[in-house]
Amino acid sequence: MKEFYLEIVTPVKPRFKGEVTSVILPGIKGEFQVLFNHAPVITDLLPGRIIIRQNNSDILFATSGGTAQIKNNHVTVLLDTLENASEIDINRASDSANRAKERLSINNKEKIDTARAEASLNRALVRIKVAKSV
Amino acid sequence: MGTLRDTKRRISGIQSTQKITRAMKMVASAKLRRAQEAIINARPYAKEISNLLESLIWEKDIINNIFLEKKEVNKVLLVVVTSDKGLCGSFNTNLIKEAVRIIDEYKGNRKECILYCIGRKGYDYFSKRGYSILNYRIGIFSGLKNEAAVRIVSEIKNGFKEEKYEKVEIIYNEFKSVIQQKIIKEQYLPINLEKRANSKEESESFIFELSREEILNEILPKHLNSQIWRVLLESNAAELGAKMTAMENATSNAQELIRALKIKYNKERQAAITKELIEVVSGANALKG
Repeated sequence: MKEFYLEIVTPVKPRFKGEVTSVILPGIKGEFQVLFNHAPVITDLLPGRIIIRQNNSDILFATSGGTAQIKNNHVTVLLDTLENASEIDINRASDSANRAKERLSINNKEKIDTARAEASLNRALVRIKVAKSV
Repeated sequence: MGTLRDTKRRISGIQSTQKITRAMKMVASAKLRRAQEAIINARPYAKEISNLLESLIWEKDIINNIFLEKKEVNKVLLVVVTSDKGLCGSFNTNLIKEAVRIIDEYKGNRKECILYCIGRKGYDYFSKRGYSILNYRIGIFSGLKNEAAVRIVSEIKNGFKEEKYEKVEIIYNEFKSVIQQKIIKEQYLPINLEKRANSKEESESFIFELSREEILNEILPKHLNSQIWRVLLESNAAELGAKMTAMENATSNAQELIRALKIKYNKERQAAITKELIEVVSGANALKG
């Protein structure tokens, strides 16, 4: 399998840099896989999992979204956050999922920021899913 | 005898000052290590996000986005990033000097210049001298948080949207190395496109999963935030570097002073002893005679 260059940066620090054979990203229209000679694309990313395949082994991450640019076998991924699957604290994630669910179940919709609560729930669920799939 | 005691007192005074400067140097260098790490880690994201912005925008392209649109400039907002605390050498003085030069230049061109001061030192200087200040932020550098940057960005953006000014520039100290800072002036808004001119073919070859405008709307605020965040981190690291150097100089200057005073003290002591001896001897001689 031919390799291409992948770079993942977050505002806090650069997280990944190197030659990989494949990366799966959570695009706005569903997960998609990037292989060698992928067409140039710019897309937003949703909260979801990122799977990097390097030297025939997979590395699993969870992200809360960002943007990706693919061009000339050079993939740049800008993410708001990135967590290695092994870093995720399942208890914390399920706590925040429960909190978000609670907030969404309140009847008075005006008092809560529904979009924010939904986004938070979504992020927590992604993290739980990623952590469990290790 | 009086001068002897005075000299001793001065020596101990300088010694305690030296203790303080040495401690401050140590504090600054401990903080610097973290600040340096933070800025070095934050730079790639800031750079990549502006690269990405470049790919989205091409030459002579008209996108209806007020942050990209160039208008006739009557008022300029200058964001001046200084430190909250002093004792960091010429860190603030040089920056303020440069800021004043820029303001005067704009005034010479009959343009109004208003200020947004980040850091106490700059605010004190400009408010005392009656410059027009739009807003200021003080005390954000201790425990620097991203929320601080987000607030600053939203204030600057709102003013820009309300057309309080047509151009925003930032002046700050960039962290080059522990002993070196560089004053940088950057245009913040509207986002400068001249440097980013891209060939149309290259940019058009991209497949956009969302429309280009939608992606732009997603990226622009992130870009603006990350630029300010980077500037704050740069200035913070530069300040600590300057402080460390300044305190190190102060400590060695104090050492030099102490050395000179000790020689003086010993000479005076010697003189006093000699004088006393002469008195004793001449007294004895007088008795003998």
